[in-house]
Amino acid sequence: MSTYLCYIPVQQERPTRAALEVLTHLRALAHRDGAQLAACVLHPEADRFVEALKPYGVNRVYLVKHPVLARHLNAPVLAALEAVFRAAQPALMALPSTEAVKDVLGALAARVGAAALPDVSAFDIGTSVTATRPVMAARVLADTETTVRPVLVSVRAGSYEARPAESPTEPDVVEVPFDFDTATLRATLREVVTGATGQVDLSEADIIVAAGRGVRDEAGKQLVEALARELGAAIGASRAAIEAGLFPASLQIGQTGKVVSPTLYIAVGISGAIQHIAGMAGSKVIVAINRDPDAPIFNIATYGIVGDLYQILPLLLEEIRRIKAES
Amino acid sequence: MKLCVCIKQVPDIQAPFRIVDGRLQFDVERHVLNAYDASAVEGALQLVEQHGGTVEVVAIGPASVSETIRKALAMGAERAYHIEADPSGWDSATVATVLAAFFRDRSYDAIFTGKQAQDTDAGLTGTMLAERLGLPYVSNAVGLAYEDGRLIVTRQGDAGREIIELTLPGLVTISNDMNDPRIPSIRGIMQARRKPVEQLTLSDLGLSDDALRPQTRVTGYRPVPPRAPGRKLEGEPAEVVRELVRLLREEARVL
Ligand SMILES: Cc1cc2nc3c(=O)[nH]c(=O)nc-3n(C[C@H](O)[C@H](O)[C@H](O)COP(=O)(O)OP(=O)(O)OC[C@H]3O[C@@H](n4cnc5c(N)ncnc54)[C@H](O)[C@@H]3O)c2cc1C
Ligand SMILES: Cc1cc2nc3c(=O)[nH]c(=O)nc-3n(C[C@H](O)[C@H](O)[C@H](O)COP(=O)(O)OP(=O)(O)OC[C@H]3O[C@@H](n4cnc5c(N)ncnc54)[C@H](O)[C@@H]3O)c2cc1C
Repeated sequence: MSTYLCYIPVQQERPTRAALEVLTHLRALAHRDGAQLAACVLHPEADRFVEALKPYGVNRVYLVKHPVLARHLNAPVLAALEAVFRAAQPALMALPSTEAVKDVLGALAARVGAAALPDVSAFDIGTSVTATRPVMAARVLADTETTVRPVLVSVRAGSYEARPAESPTEPDVVEVPFDFDTATLRATLREVVTGATGQVDLSEADIIVAAGRGVRDEAGKQLVEALARELGAAIGASRAAIEAGLFPASLQIGQTGKVVSPTLYIAVGISGAIQHIAGMAGSKVIVAINRDPDAPIFNIATYGIVGDLYQILPLLLEEIRRIKAES
Repeated sequence: MKLCVCIKQVPDIQAPFRIVDGRLQFDVERHVLNAYDASAVEGALQLVEQHGGTVEVVAIGPASVSETIRKALAMGAERAYHIEADPSGWDSATVATVLAAFFRDRSYDAIFTGKQAQDTDAGLTGTMLAERLGLPYVSNAVGLAYEDGRLIVTRQGDAGREIIELTLPGLVTISNDMNDPRIPSIRGIMQARRKPVEQLTLSDLGLSDDALRPQTRVTGYRPVPPRAPGRKLEGEPAEVVRELVRLLREEARVL
């Protein structure tokens, strides 16, 4: 029986939503094809996460446990994924397309001799693995296929919905032996500098309030933060807003930054450059607030307000508070 | 410090194009240096300006790639290698195979690539190349410094900036968020004409057709399905805001 394997990154003590989205799609494919559904977790205490995978209908969980896996560093992650890959011998391994996954995908493909389909928005398995890839700053979709097996595919957040299986499973748990000598490391992590980010993680957010260059000062930033808080939203930013020093770089949305597809995306003072749109055009509903009626963001907005954000945001906050108080 | 930057020529992603029978057709063929690679050249130049050394560049592509090579030389790279080939139909793995063959008998302190190509956004070539060459690497670099024979690389990770010490030789994939690439000066453009560009063929690198077989291929291009047309709300700000919230609740049902 062939195996479909899903890599499950964990964050804040649980599997990431993006990973569960990929796992849900892989489960549907495994059921259809009569394949085994496997998952893998790399973490110093990887056993802790098995419980959270049971509702997702996993048949087998591979664990790699080592203190070096507490923080991301490519050499150990690569070695751990290689060890899981060799143990599971999957026909296909799917991974959520995070920055950490992008850091190792090419190297892992080269190491295990697999084809790689990076950052896809849909994939399927037939005689070959086929996938849809947004290219040209997400202005075009490329239909791609593999000519060799096995295959690694990384999937954009929001491409599929995360849903538990009809009935939970009691998976086999396989601990993959992993010896890693940190003395062999030729790239070492000195420190991780985290900016003060919002309360909600971008890739997990149903609502995102994104700030652009139009948000030009601390007062504007506070308006954006207040709106995000009121809506339980994550904060995102354009490259220009980050360059202005108002928001940390980990919040950048776009071709260079993160790709998001929330239910609601509120673009505040963002012009809508194609490199920004590349990261958010998959949002279900887009609201644009911009004082320039010709800003390109209005071409993709579901609802647009032409106006000064410093005037609109306080009114919007007030209206949302009023509605909340009513219900 | 001896650095080599891998540069790719890409179609201008802003240029108008059509999709005909699943193929991309540009109204005008406009090619540019991949923006991420321009930042990689800039990052390399800044390092050697501070610490001494040389920057070379390598590009794989047809004859038309020479334009892009001149751009990198005009920015300040000293020497270029042009591996003449038709990469249409190749994938990142093929490109990495060719680059690995190129680097095998050459020695550099560090190899830079872009973190991704602007047209494909694949972002695989750099780390594939590092793996083929057995080099330690850092991807998605937004900062570079040189200290005691090592590169101190700042990389943008999922939740924050990771400061990584990279022993050399090593490989770094560069983000355009690292810097704003310099615009070549007239003097730079003049000098570039006299800088050496060494032409290489795939057989010079000992590569057979078999080694170049891609592992993935594009079967066709499609337009992105258009979004449903939206609407602009106009009028007195307080009313417009009230209408927006009503629409978000009653029509879109997202609040
Ligand atoms: C290779 C490459 C990759 C890139 N990757 C990214 C990326 O990942 N993410 C990204 O965002 N960009 C990216 N960019 C940059 C991108 O091209 C744009 O420069 C950037 O998105 C512009 O940000 P902005 O819309 O905030 O700023 P601007 O384009 O300056 O727009 C500001 C907008 O705010 C409006 N405004 C000003 N004041 C007010 C006010 N008081 N009230 C209401 N509206 C106001 C203006 O009308 C304007 O439309 C990339 C570029 C390149 C070349
Ligand atoms: C002129 C030209 C025309 C092409 N036409 C087609 C086509 O019609 N259809 C098709 O399917 N493919 C085509 N390709 C091949 C394809 O676009 C890519 O070259 C291939 O997929 C590998 O790059 P990537 O975009 O996957 O690289 P990524 O992994 O996204 O690129 C990362 C980095 O790798 C390095 N790199 C990538 N390519 C090169 C290169 N050629 N030379 C030096 N360094 C490089 C750069 O540093 C780049 O920043 C063409 C390539 C070129 C150069």
